[in-house]
Amino acid sequence: MALTAGAGRRPHGSLEAEILATLAAATEPMSAADVQRALPHDLAYNTVQTILIRLLEKDAVQRRPRGRGHVYWVRHAEAAEAARRMRATLAGRPDRAAVLQQFAAGLDDADAEMLRALLAEPPEAT
Amino acid sequence: MTFAVYLPAALSLLLVAVSRAAARHTSPAAVTRGLALAAAGTAIAYAACLSFLALTLLDDLPPLAAFDHLPGLPRPVPGPIALAAAGLLGWSAWRLLRDLRIRRDTHRRLRSVGSPDAGGLVVADWAAPHAVAVPGRPGHVLITTGLLRTLDGRERAVVLAHEQAHLRHGHHRFTAVAAAAAAVNPLLAPLRDAVAHHAERWADEEAASQVGDRGLVARCVAKAALAATPVLGLGGASVVGRVRALRSPAPDGRWTRLAGPAAIVAMIAAVTATAAVEFAAVASAWLHAV
Repeated sequence: MALTAGAGRRPHGSLEAEILATLAAATEPMSAADVQRALPHDLAYNTVQTILIRLLEKDAVQRRPRGRGHVYWVRHAEAAEAARRMRATLAGRPDRAAVLQQFAAGLDDADAEMLRALLAEPPEAT
Repeated sequence: MTFAVYLPAALSLLLVAVSRAAARHTSPAAVTRGLALAAAGTAIAYAACLSFLALTLLDDLPPLAAFDHLPGLPRPVPGPIALAAAGLLGWSAWRLLRDLRIRRDTHRRLRSVGSPDAGGLVVADWAAPHAVAVPGRPGHVLITTGLLRTLDGRERAVVLAHEQAHLRHGHHRFTAVAAAAAAVNPLLAPLRDAVAHHAERWADEEAASQVGDRGLVARCVAKAALAATPVLGLGGASVVGRVRALRSPAPDGRWTRLAGPAAIVAMIAAVTATAAVEFAAVASAWLHAV
């Protein structure tokens, strides 16, 4: 199935990924309301709740009761193990890092300076 | 054999120069596909011509060597050139195998980092800011808490959309083809880097159309790069180019701008065909002598 992305269109599963990413970015466990506030979309509370339950069923997150609801967090043991394996694969191995599609590589001082200058300028008119 | 057999190597350099100009202002999807295809074709032509040259060494082997004194037996190229071609061909094969092995090994290791049960995402609790598209069936996104914590909610959506675009369009195939071509023919290294860069541009533009804000994607790419450990290398120029492109008017999708590189690939195909015909004439003369 080919999904063509248009403005406002989200591929299947991307809400799950976004909510998981939101929980992973947090340093504290989050309630469904916290997650709803942290997301950039106007999502209904029930939608967030449903996806959190789905993540729980898939063992991607853990929860404990707090107040009248629950707070959720990313399972730490798995994330730590993933980090260990990822580091073992990439750290100090530029030949392996070079074959990957990485979101953003590190910069040298001159490029970092150029990037900061570029961001300070107003964008070109479209 | 005439000069045709040497031309694919020379034309590789011309292809690199022309592609650089053609890639500007063309949609990154067209550039990624077009240049990966051009690199593959050129690498095949390069390897074919080296093979023709190397195979002329056969006339030093028995039984052809016995006929060396006969008049009319073709002496297509000087021996040292044929030997050099054989050496280059061996070097290409070694580089190609090494590239394929590192690529397969890296992807296999990253696939086993974690199981992407939820939303095709594996989170690694590591302070270094990384986000990687790991190809597979289905592929998944591997992202570190270091990057997630650097970004706000909208920027996290950008990174996820960017990585998912890599997976959806199978960008790893184009970059792998271009890298294999550059392994075979080292003159194509700039083309390999251009394909990698434009695959990132393609994913940036897809992310931008999904979140509806190119400026946001530009800021997000810059933020992630500035958060990464400073390094010396080529990655920085690519990031600066992506941010600059996202802050300029969106490129159009016209393939016609790739006419220049396409014409050179056609020339490479023509000279390789000429070299093949010439080699066939030499081979048939030998067969008659034996």
